[in-house]
Amino acid sequence: MSSYFEFTNPTKLCSGKGAIDNLEYELEMLGVHHPMVLSDRVLEKIGTLAVVLDALSAMQIGRVFTDIPRDSSIEVVNRIAEEYREFGCDGLVALGGGSVLDTAKGVRLLIGQNADDLLELMGCECLPKGTAVPFVAIPTTAGTGSEATAVAVIKNPSLHIKMEYISQQIMPDTAILDPRMTVTLPPRITASTGMDTLCHAIEAYSCLQKNPVSDAYAAAAVGLVRKNLVKAVKIGSSREARMALANASYLAGAAFSNSMVGVVHAIGHALGGVCQIPHGDAMNILLPMGMIFNKKVCRDTYGELLLYLAGPEVYQATPKAKRADRTIAEVIRLRKRLHDITGLPVTLKEAGADPAMFPDVARTALNDGAVIVNPRQVTYETVIRILERCYE
Amino acid sequence: MKRELMNQVNGIVLQVLYRGFRVLYREDSRVRAEIKGWDEELTLKLICGPGGAALAMRHDSQDGVRKIRRAQRCDITMRFKSVEGAFKVLSGRMSVAEAYAEHLFFLEGDIYKTMSFVRCVEYIESYLFPGFMTRRILKEVPEKQISALQVYALALLENGR
Repeated sequence: MSSYFEFTNPTKLCSGKGAIDNLEYELEMLGVHHPMVLSDRVLEKIGTLAVVLDALSAMQIGRVFTDIPRDSSIEVVNRIAEEYREFGCDGLVALGGGSVLDTAKGVRLLIGQNADDLLELMGCECLPKGTAVPFVAIPTTAGTGSEATAVAVIKNPSLHIKMEYISQQIMPDTAILDPRMTVTLPPRITASTGMDTLCHAIEAYSCLQKNPVSDAYAAAAVGLVRKNLVKAVKIGSSREARMALANASYLAGAAFSNSMVGVVHAIGHALGGVCQIPHGDAMNILLPMGMIFNKKVCRDTYGELLLYLAGPEVYQATPKAKRADRTIAEVIRLRKRLHDITGLPVTLKEAGADPAMFPDVARTALNDGAVIVNPRQVTYETVIRILERCYE
Repeated sequence: MKRELMNQVNGIVLQVLYRGFRVLYREDSRVRAEIKGWDEELTLKLICGPGGAALAMRHDSQDGVRKIRRAQRCDITMRFKSVEGAFKVLSGRMSVAEAYAEHLFFLEGDIYKTMSFVRCVEYIESYLFPGFMTRRILKEVPEKQISALQVYALALLENGR
């Protein structure tokens, strides 16, 4: 563990039944009178957006923008920022999954830093506090943890890569977790996003930037996933399980925002950019192999995670030397259960990846910022080996 | 150690690092491949704390890199928050990865393009620092393609401008 660490989590968390009902109050407290509401077409169609708009019925909404694709891009962010200014908005409400939330972060960056193009603002922890752009994030999946992170991943279509923006200035002022927002998630997406949460927590717990505070968040997230993921997949209407997963996603997000993620995410981002594999699916496929690769230097940390991933009885019954292997076995077991219930792919072949693209994926992954904090050196050959082993 | 002395050491090591880039561009196929992958005319700057030593360079198709004025705005700037933080890395007490993990520097520019620069620095460190240091700071010490002594000798003869 590092001899020095920093931990940032300024976001106010409103979590639980009826949380959305407080949205208008939260916006007023942030000084917002004409918010721009960002969401996507699917949420508009299934009525989730209407719940949020209802909660804002006494407020004059500046603009509702729902034309955000699954993988948002720099162009989309630049366009929304233009509209934000054009419609005289004074705050952001983002309702959606990772793409919508990260889009809002990009917009906040542009407006706050008084810029027109996101490409001007690339970097890591380099932006000063700019103009205040109040920002409320309402996640509709329990996976990305974007509502608690200082990271935004936005696609650069011209380079076929997902670009990372890391800045404290993009963190939401308030995150609202309401079970009504995730209760309609289909089982397969629940499984995929839940594995994304697990992956955030495990990588946060084992990366070079880990620290005692991020460890506490990550461990708590793993425990919540263990107790609730399969239940939420099987019984989607369980608000208790949904709420627990939303909290797990937030906790894992706060953890990895401060300790970063590693090789699994580096390859996952590249698979998303080059082969269009959905992020959660990629995490589900890559996580065990990434852990096997890192086990050489993470034996103790993986061993510790067994307590949260399998419970105290299993932890106690497993000899210390075998705990890391058992942790990986538990991840594989959970993955198998989710595959049996939902058909969530466990190989890159099932996910439709083309092995001919692996060299491109490997080159892209090596340039992902997550590689630097992975506990083991990641090389081109390493990535190719992981991809091949995950193929079938 | 006093800040001023650290600053001077940082300045000297940056000189060695720059020469290392140029020598290994010729002598190490991995460094050459990395640099050849950089955008034409890509500019990079390393600043060792407020008012500290700095190295600014441009991708050069013939020699790998070429120095430019430090005042010039660069595509990628790695800026250490303090002279002391930069000294930890440049004196071989800490790797770039560890420095990143401890928030010793921040980055202006494309993270994606910076990773290749970081890999080059790690290759160069494996030549410039003795084995006991690189084994401690690098996750994996890359194999040398020529001896460290040769690299030092060539770096001495290298044009440092």
